Amino acid sequence: MVMMMAPGGTLEMAKTVLDEGADAVYVGVVGWSRRGAQDELNDDEIRHTIDYALARGKEVRVVVNTLPSSTELPMFVERVERYAGWGAQGFMISDLGAMRLVKERLPHVNVHTSVGCGITNYEDVRFLRELGADYVVLPYRLSVEEIRQIKGAGKVGIEVFLFKTPSGGKICPGKCNMSSYFSFRRWLDTEGKDHFFGSASRGGDCLRVCQTEWNFNVDDIDYRMPMTIKTNPALWLEELPDYLAAGVDCLKVPGRDRSAVLVRDIVRVYRRAVDAILETDRPDLSAFASELETLRGRWMTERNRRDNRLLRQAIDESARVSAEAPAVTQ
Amino acid sequence: MFELSTDVGNLKELREGDFSAYDAIYLGDFSCPEYPNNFSSHADLLEAGLQHVHARGQKAYLRLYAVPGNDDLAWVGDVIDTALQLPFDALEVHNLGVLRMLRERSCTAPIHLGVFGNLYTHETAKVLKDFGVTRVYPNPELSLDEVRYIAEHADVEVLVPVHGKIPLVISETCFILEHSEDGAEGACGDGSCSYQCTQDHWLKRGRGDGSRADWSLKDTGRMTLSGKDLCMVEHGGRLADMGLKHFYVHNKGEAPGYAAAVGRIYRDALTRAFAGEAAPDFAPALDTLAGLAREGLCNGYYFEGAGQRYIGRN
Repeated sequence: MVMMMAPGGTLEMAKTVLDEGADAVYVGVVGWSRRGAQDELNDDEIRHTIDYALARGKEVRVVVNTLPSSTELPMFVERVERYAGWGAQGFMISDLGAMRLVKERLPHVNVHTSVGCGITNYEDVRFLRELGADYVVLPYRLSVEEIRQIKGAGKVGIEVFLFKTPSGGKICPGKCNMSSYFSFRRWLDTEGKDHFFGSASRGGDCLRVCQTEWNFNVDDIDYRMPMTIKTNPALWLEELPDYLAAGVDCLKVPGRDRSAVLVRDIVRVYRRAVDAILETDRPDLSAFASELETLRGRWMTERNRRDNRLLRQAIDESARVSAEAPAVTQ
Repeated sequence: MFELSTDVGNLKELREGDFSAYDAIYLGDFSCPEYPNNFSSHADLLEAGLQHVHARGQKAYLRLYAVPGNDDLAWVGDVIDTALQLPFDALEVHNLGVLRMLRERSCTAPIHLGVFGNLYTHETAKVLKDFGVTRVYPNPELSLDEVRYIAEHADVEVLVPVHGKIPLVISETCFILEHSEDGAEGACGDGSCSYQCTQDHWLKRGRGDGSRADWSLKDTGRMTLSGKDLCMVEHGGRLADMGLKHFYVHNKGEAPGYAAAVGRIYRDALTRAFAGEAAPDFAPALDTLAGLAREGLCNGYYFEGAGQRYIGRN
């Protein structure tokens, strides 16, 4: 049976998605997941979420998928052990060393390799499975045939996001540092946790610098042809029966940094769609098309609002750093 | 004492360039299999490249394609099979699947992890050591202190880039072809590439008032690089004191002559630093390096700030 997992960017959102039919909720830990603190939960909220889910026979996955500093790893392991002790059944992890440490200490928990691992082929998946991965989160852009090939490569759970980009293009997440190149600050909190503003890989926000207006300069000639560097993913539905037939084990609703109301409505639609697919060999998804189109529009509106906010931060921080730069670098 | 290395994409560049300042050469462009006569995707050219490098008393490392999809694994396997028959001093991987393929083939050559291997911690370096990795290229986001920690706690060689553009993001298809204003002749991935990357492509953040763009990046088609050049020439003494020994100049995407000019400067600076000499006046070297860096110099993330910031020795 495919598991539908939905985001808990806030405690309210976590409870809502469980109420609306998600089989599991995933929540990020402040400073330890690929989102800013506003979309992560503190320990009290995580414990509350776990209790809420367990009382309803549902599951919690804790997102600890930053690429940490070496010196943070003892703290990382301590946190994972704490959440597992509270009843969390699985963890999303990017760092291979962290993953091995978790499997050595807690062999019973599910390890999901994060999308930040940047998988591109089935040999990657075999490597991660042999390291102890129970689920691999695939990138947004794979075709059904590629997923089928990956599933055939070995016994590991396949997890896909319910949004995707066209094939090709820049590999993001997992192989991109553009945000932190322009805007990056590091600081330690009172517990010794490293924080990295501007680096999604390290637990800050991606500041969306790929989404500003870029132009090409070719051999010293400027071309005015504004473009973004990366295509944004969009919610999808049409291929869902094929994905399930290809062996997808876990469907992941995106949106930790969206509003709880929007995520609630997305979960409602997908819950009904997945149930319809599971009930018949010839599901009719046309009834969901208009609902999904509306959701795509709302998704884009909220994304643009978020992108503008983050990009503004990147521009301000970059300007501040440039003002401090010595003449030799100009 | 120390090793200084750089990269060369194909045999023509190898034969026409001056790489005498370097102890070792990374052969191939790991980002684009279609780059002309790329060592990384042309098994038939490996022996000639290897012989050229070894004849000059240098080490030859082969770069393997960084982001193979399922359909690429067969030809990547052919390149590996040929390489394993030759005395390469190491093979460089960026992809965990390719690393697994090397283990499946009982590779005994040293393996280096490349920049897109996402290496952030010493524990990950230990995992990779179990797969035969002997050298790692930490993610550019790491500070010098973090790099040193990995070197000291994982007992692996650590490659430290000291000059050149910073690889920021890699692509499965060619960004230049996909965004060509005139409509690209040829397409990415079907063998008909028109090689527009032979022209210098910069990405500039637009400004409505037409003034100088405040953000810039360099694009080589399948890889986006920093606009500024990483420059650590003033910090050789610090690198030596930290026990770091393997240094690298990024050459991909640069004009002919770049690697030679930069290599000479760093050969001299690092030799002096490792001999314990007092730091010289770096102004002439910085003038030369700044002249080669159209968008200026930076220190990357080594000093815990944004990648395009520059901090002098003082």
